[in-house]
Amino acid sequence: MVFSVAYHFLRDRDTAEEIAQDVFLSLHRNLGGIQSAAHAGFWLRKVAVQRSIDASRKRMRRPQVALEDVAEPVARGVPSDPMLGETLRRLIATLPETPRMVMILRYQEDLDPSDIANLMAIPVGTVKSHLQRSLALLREKLVRRGVREE
Amino acid sequence: MDWLEDELQQALRRQEPSPDFEARVTSTVSRQVNAAMRPVLLMPRWLATAAAVLAIAGAGAGYRYHQGHVAKEQVMLAMRLAGSRLNRIQMQMKAVRP
Repeated sequence: MVFSVAYHFLRDRDTAEEIAQDVFLSLHRNLGGIQSAAHAGFWLRKVAVQRSIDASRKRMRRPQVALEDVAEPVARGVPSDPMLGETLRRLIATLPETPRMVMILRYQEDLDPSDIANLMAIPVGTVKSHLQRSLALLREKLVRRGVREE
Repeated sequence: MDWLEDELQQALRRQEPSPDFEARVTSTVSRQVNAAMRPVLLMPRWLATAAAVLAIAGAGAGYRYHQGHVAKEQVMLAMRLAGSRLNRIQMQMKAVRP
């Protein structure tokens, strides 16, 4: 879960593993403050979200291109169905950091908007509007690319 | 949930880290635990250094004392030998003198 949040957010396997390792080491140092398994899960998600956002901001100051983001030279035309997942991941990667993390927590972790709001310390209304706007944007981009007709 | 949300769940399904990830985290944690316990289990570096300096200084002083003792013994032996020779010479001179 920790690795996956960082990986989907940053699309860089090495950095995601570094973040995940850092989060688990941090959990080990803070074990005394963990009250239950649910609390540990919440804590891990929260720290993973924070560290991923920090890493993304650091990367924006010192831009790097992950191998996964390098365009494939043969990719052209309308993506076929097996490519839809990759297209969606690429489109999500273009979202600003808050809506991107909201989408990952909603569709990877299957969290409710209230849980996401709690985790990211933002209002529930903001989470809902990020979800609606991001979905509308993705739908529009996919339709424009001819992936799906509505 | 519409088709897009279904596709998003598929696209964003959980990914696993590399197979050696767990081993790496475990080894880093155990290294940190060992590092944290070292000052308790072993003496601090300054104390080890101080003990070594004291041991060397003590050994030096002991060696010097031993050397002094040996020299004193040699002087005493030389004086005893010289004394006995002197006595012998005196006795010979008495015997020669009428």
